[in-house]
Amino acid sequence: MIPRKWKMYLKMYWVKFAIVAVVILLVALAVIGLNSLESYYRNITLATMPVNLLMVSLNAIIFVYMYMIFMRGGFSKLSQKLRVHGEFVNIKWSDVIGMENVKAEAMEVVQLIMDRARVKKIGGKILRGILMLGPPGCGKTYLAKAIATESGLPFVSMSGSEFVEIFVGVGAARVRALFKKARELAYGYGGCIVFIDELDAIARKRVFSAFGGTEETNSTQNQLLAEMDGLQELKDKSGEPRPEQNIIIIGATNAPEDMLDRALRRPGRFDRIIYIEKPGLEDREKLFAYYLGKVQYDKLLDVGRLARKAVYKSPADIENIIKEAALVATRNGRDAIRLEDISEAMERIDLGLKRQLTMTPREKETTAYHEAGHAVVLYILHPTNDVFKISIIPRKDTLGVTYSQPKEELYSYTKDKLLADIKVSLAGYVAEKMRFGVTSTGVSGDFKDATRIAHSMVWSLGMSGAEFLGDYTAIPESQISEDLKEKLNQETDKIFQLCLKEVEALLIKEKPILEKLVNDLLAKEELEYDEVEAIFMEFGKARTKSAW
Amino acid sequence: MVGIKKVLLLCAICYILCAALTGCGPTYPKKNVKEAVARICTQEYGVNVKVETYDKTMFIYLPLKGLLDYSFNLTRPASEKINNVIFTAARVTLSTDAKFDFYCVIAHDIKMPELQIVIIKNVEDVRRLFASDISRGEYMKRVLIDLRWSPQAKKEQVVKDIFNKMNLDQKWQDQIISDFFRSEPAAISDIGYWNDRFYIKDITLAEFLAEQIANRIKIEFRESKDLKDIFLLKSAKGLYAARKDRRLFRFEIMAERGAIGAGTTIENSDKIFEKALSMAGHVLHGYHFKDYDAVEVFDQHEGRSIEVTPEELENFRMKKVKLNEIGK
Repeated sequence: MIPRKWKMYLKMYWVKFAIVAVVILLVALAVIGLNSLESYYRNITLATMPVNLLMVSLNAIIFVYMYMIFMRGGFSKLSQKLRVHGEFVNIKWSDVIGMENVKAEAMEVVQLIMDRARVKKIGGKILRGILMLGPPGCGKTYLAKAIATESGLPFVSMSGSEFVEIFVGVGAARVRALFKKARELAYGYGGCIVFIDELDAIARKRVFSAFGGTEETNSTQNQLLAEMDGLQELKDKSGEPRPEQNIIIIGATNAPEDMLDRALRRPGRFDRIIYIEKPGLEDREKLFAYYLGKVQYDKLLDVGRLARKAVYKSPADIENIIKEAALVATRNGRDAIRLEDISEAMERIDLGLKRQLTMTPREKETTAYHEAGHAVVLYILHPTNDVFKISIIPRKDTLGVTYSQPKEELYSYTKDKLLADIKVSLAGYVAEKMRFGVTSTGVSGDFKDATRIAHSMVWSLGMSGAEFLGDYTAIPESQISEDLKEKLNQETDKIFQLCLKEVEALLIKEKPILEKLVNDLLAKEELEYDEVEAIFMEFGKARTKSAW
Repeated sequence: MVGIKKVLLLCAICYILCAALTGCGPTYPKKNVKEAVARICTQEYGVNVKVETYDKTMFIYLPLKGLLDYSFNLTRPASEKINNVIFTAARVTLSTDAKFDFYCVIAHDIKMPELQIVIIKNVEDVRRLFASDISRGEYMKRVLIDLRWSPQAKKEQVVKDIFNKMNLDQKWQDQIISDFFRSEPAAISDIGYWNDRFYIKDITLAEFLAEQIANRIKIEFRESKDLKDIFLLKSAKGLYAARKDRRLFRFEIMAERGAIGAGTTIENSDKIFEKALSMAGHVLHGYHFKDYDAVEVFDQHEGRSIEVTPEELENFRMKKVKLNEIGK
């Protein structure tokens, strides 16, 4: 009886086995043939064989190259389907930092995979697919690999974009090939995990167009649906489920859940959805501690403080911050990472690199007033955010920046917060107008933000002063009367005007602080958290919220 | 790139396997070489031969029925058999550890044993032909083929004629001839087979080249229109003499002058010298042969000769100097 794994290898690699057998046969025939020759001819043949082999190889390479370039559209089409055995992935639960809730859920999945018999015994349904949803860089792939390691099953990974092709049928063929491979591995190892990253590439809602423009995506998705259904039907002669059906499909995507086709989310396909969010304060502390453990760092560094500063940062962002900080420390001639290296790294990542632009004194002054205006309003009025840095050094596509961060993650916003955001946005405009009587184009981004927030407050959040409740954006525009539209827009404008007046009043009142900030900015170009704090303290303005 | 590396690695493994699993020894070991030739000739071509070796030369004796037709040309069956034996000799000399430099096939008609064909080939020439290092035409010019009366037969005939006149008993005649008139030959031209006995010597490259150059001169005088209009070649002999302090190639050319286009005495001699030296330079250069001190050409008709050093001969071959600038 040939062991199942051997059978699996024979099925999977029969082409390679055939090639090896043919090569061995050819070598044996060549040896027999050479031995039948007289020594002179044998030596001549052996002497010319390397050149012949080289020429044949060269011809083969040229042929393959030409074939791939002209007939198959280049070597990039040779998609390497990665297969890594579970034990080689080697990412354990302990390597997945934070995400305790998600880990608990994933652990349960592993238990179900490993103990299918028990689940069957009590009549439970076996999991077919797990869908991981969440923003990029939060460890979806990492978690999938950990599941593979912990369950000890082979892990087949493909990205959704690898299925996408302009030729109809290619994507579907690749889906078939992927599942064929997974079934073979499941046959040999008793199970297999298929991981499809960026699932949205093939799992978007299908469009049924008369022109057939979306046929390829549809057919790829249809094939995926068919394969996932097919997994339930494999039974041997005795009616027992065959090991080939023991396949778990893990899909991961950054796309919102409702972007995905409903057919994929129905029970029996992706049965379980795991939501992976950005890490909270505690998880960020663990992540900083984990990544700092891989580099040399100043032992006085407070990971709690770092975690508080890195609100809304994903694990990948935190890893990137530490890498960037290591580079900054090296550039500054230090052996270990210090707080200022991490701060600089975060600024580099969040704000971008400084640009060497030659600005006129007037431009510099305008920018200084603009940013100081933002800073004053932000510091005094904003309920959640705090000023970390003010700069009039150009970065990315801006001439200056007021860098603010919330104290902690907020998953919903109050009216006060939104109004404060509008006020902060308008503050740059007001400060410029107060000083110069005219304003610059630098206000365009701020106006856009403020208008968008005010519009949302009135049109969809019911936060206007009037009794306009409901989400008017849910109604088709043609069904909203012009009168109502006008009233809603007037409410939007009212919020805008109220905020504007409040900001004007505040900046007039706090003009000394504004002027101080402007002067310091023009002198130093950048003001750090402590310097900003000191200026406001000087004018008797205590920070009402602790930042970090 | 990984794919290319794999293919190259596979090729290398295949080659190493082929080389390692294939026997590297000679097909025809030195001790069995004579038997091997005889066996191949008998088993593969159905001809019986006798084989003898002398130092670095292999001799094969091939008795045939109907060697020549009435026009003194080789008959087709005889030609085929001779070719088969020559091919066998080539196969064996190339695939043996006995370092043969030459092989020689002596074929004669059993009804007329005095007349024999002697074919001498240089093993290195055969190797170079197989490696396409020389052309077939050049190769054919390098082969010595001679249809001649057996020198030993001629010698014994003369002695027997004398003994007959002396009425010497046949038994005594044979005894005396055996004791005093059967010795190893001194030159290539004396090689042959007579009365169940090989008359052979080790052939050296120098004397082979001397014979070859003389042969080429003969062909040139026979085929070149410039020469055959002026000269009637009677003989061209080449020999290599290595004395204690001097190694010399000497070519004696006997060419009668014809009426058409004949120049002065000196001009005619110079034409002979020019052609002979050109031929000698070409052949010696072709074999990279440097083991000589001078080349002498002797025009027997005029009694004039020219002797050149190897450097002069090389310069003359390269057309860097003219005939009147070299020799003494």
